[in-house]
Amino acid sequence: MDLSAFESDNSVSCRLSSPIPDVCKTEDCCLGIDEAGRGPVLGPMVYGICFCPVSRKEALKNLKVADSKTLTEAERENLFRKLDEAKSFVGWALQMLSPNTISTSMLQRAKYNLNALSHDAAIGLVQFALDCGVQLKEVFVDTVGPAEKYQEKLSKLFPEVAVTVRPKADSLFPIVSAASICAKVARDHAVQSWKFTEDLGDVDTDYGSGYPNDPKTKSWLLKYLDPVFGYPQFVRFSWSTAQTLLDSKAATVHWDDDDEDGEKAAARQKNTSMLSFLSHSKPAELKHTRDTHRFFTERKLQSSNTL
Amino acid sequence: MTTKKKRSAHTNRDRWVVIAPDSVLDTGSSADSDPSFTKLKNPATGSSSLYLFGCGDVRVYEVKAFNEEFRSWFIGQTVQRDGRLLYVTPIDCLFLLLPYIRSAATEGKFQPVKQMVMDEDFPGCTRLLKCKQGLDSLHHVADEKEVGGLKFHRYNQEKTMEWLKKKVQRTVSTLKKSNISVGGGVKSSTFVRVKQEADATEEDYLRYAHGLISEYISEDLSKDLLKHLQLPEISSPKETEPPSKKRKLSDKPVEAGEDYTKFNSADFARKAPKKMTAAQKTLAKVDKTGMKSIAAFFSPKVKQEKN
Repeated sequence: MDLSAFESDNSVSCRLSSPIPDVCKTEDCCLGIDEAGRGPVLGPMVYGICFCPVSRKEALKNLKVADSKTLTEAERENLFRKLDEAKSFVGWALQMLSPNTISTSMLQRAKYNLNALSHDAAIGLVQFALDCGVQLKEVFVDTVGPAEKYQEKLSKLFPEVAVTVRPKADSLFPIVSAASICAKVARDHAVQSWKFTEDLGDVDTDYGSGYPNDPKTKSWLLKYLDPVFGYPQFVRFSWSTAQTLLDSKAATVHWDDDDEDGEKAAARQKNTSMLSFLSHSKPAELKHTRDTHRFFTERKLQSSNTL
Repeated sequence: MTTKKKRSAHTNRDRWVVIAPDSVLDTGSSADSDPSFTKLKNPATGSSSLYLFGCGDVRVYEVKAFNEEFRSWFIGQTVQRDGRLLYVTPIDCLFLLLPYIRSAATEGKFQPVKQMVMDEDFPGCTRLLKCKQGLDSLHHVADEKEVGGLKFHRYNQEKTMEWLKKKVQRTVSTLKKSNISVGGGVKSSTFVRVKQEADATEEDYLRYAHGLISEYISEDLSKDLLKHLQLPEISSPKETEPPSKKRKLSDKPVEAGEDYTKFNSADFARKAPKKMTAAQKTLAKVDKTGMKSIAAFFSPKVKQEKN
């Protein structure tokens, strides 16, 4: 699998795809969607679609594709090669969501959660297949969140297509299994050959599975924690594992959208707490002092008496 | 992300980010006259503020800090916690001399400036006597007498008012030139009107300029100047308070004004505060700057600045 397009800039989201088989443009097709790398604190999350003509479903079954989780890495590689060889009727496309994309989405001001990110990646890939001229008739999806709601959402977006959302779809429908293999193989490759944009010298690549409960992953996270910057972009900052370590080991950083509540926050924001209106003495801010002219307050300019 | 931790006091104040005119670094004729920061009496508040002497004390500058919350600097290979940006701008030395000359006026005698400009709390003030520009313009605020090559001065209120009036007028023309919104409607400097501010009256400009100049003179001078400019005083809305709701004492038996018992049923039992829903949380994060608090609509009407 050629990941060079992703590796050239692994800080953003990237789409990789196989050529579209000609039969897929003329015959009715089915399409499977699955994802790999949802849980790990390290590395990208990969969304994969696989599609083939409905009439060739049997041929896909004969490739003995199965849920990627039940396969060893070698078996997965082998199956991916077979899928790639069947390019006369099987096509695939991948959306690589870099850990940086995940971090920045989940931690931005208007929070964009992982489910929404996942849904949008899946929707984007289906749209991509449609835009490429694939005659989609059936779509099978392994669910993210409640299956019914997800199915309704997808059906509304793609009214021409029969959408089936099922938990464990990757073991039920071969086309979903195929998609899961593509996604998993891409993720494994991306993690194994991760190119760090940060200057870390000889990076210790023994980071284990990347899952938060893996002790190897945890010790790697501790080793590469910078007090100012936190982690390399390889790490999903939005994961609570990463955040807990940052909270305890790294320098404290305050953002202006940090959630603070209560009287303290009100005082900090120079708001007057409701309680102060009930007490007899006026708070200091309300006592008459000369206000700084708004020319300065609007521009956040203060005279200072210290350097 | 890290709201639980307390902020420690600012430390590491040995470096600042400063914007200053080139003239600050101009050492003038004498070699040992590096610019230096000095604390002087702030002419408006009487408290201590930071100023900078340059060119062998010939020029004096005020120091204003752009200070917004949640700002830090990256400088070279280091992080600076203090995200302030200091502006060093020329100040008319006469503003700083004026409080001393005024307070000496109570004796009603002509005195040498040297005798007037003395301050135990701010010994740095004697350096003001080297500011040529300030000494040369003393006649704007004081009567002058020369006896035997020595100059003597006495504070003159009328002259001062005329001088300040000129300052206001010059500020007005600068405000107009630099398109600064002076009308009451605009609350944010980042909000730029597409339309030229045609609704700002001459009085708006005068008031705004008066307010700006008042940042450099004492409160009573500011009030005198307002009269001199023939601008009526407006009570700021902050000073007015809603009328006291205290019940007048009377001999009549006290009766309940309203019947609240109907709220005593179980339906009105206090409910535990609910956790905010995601939608409410996002709503709470909306930028509320520039919005009036709801309480503002209930306070009695005060005369507002004309727009």
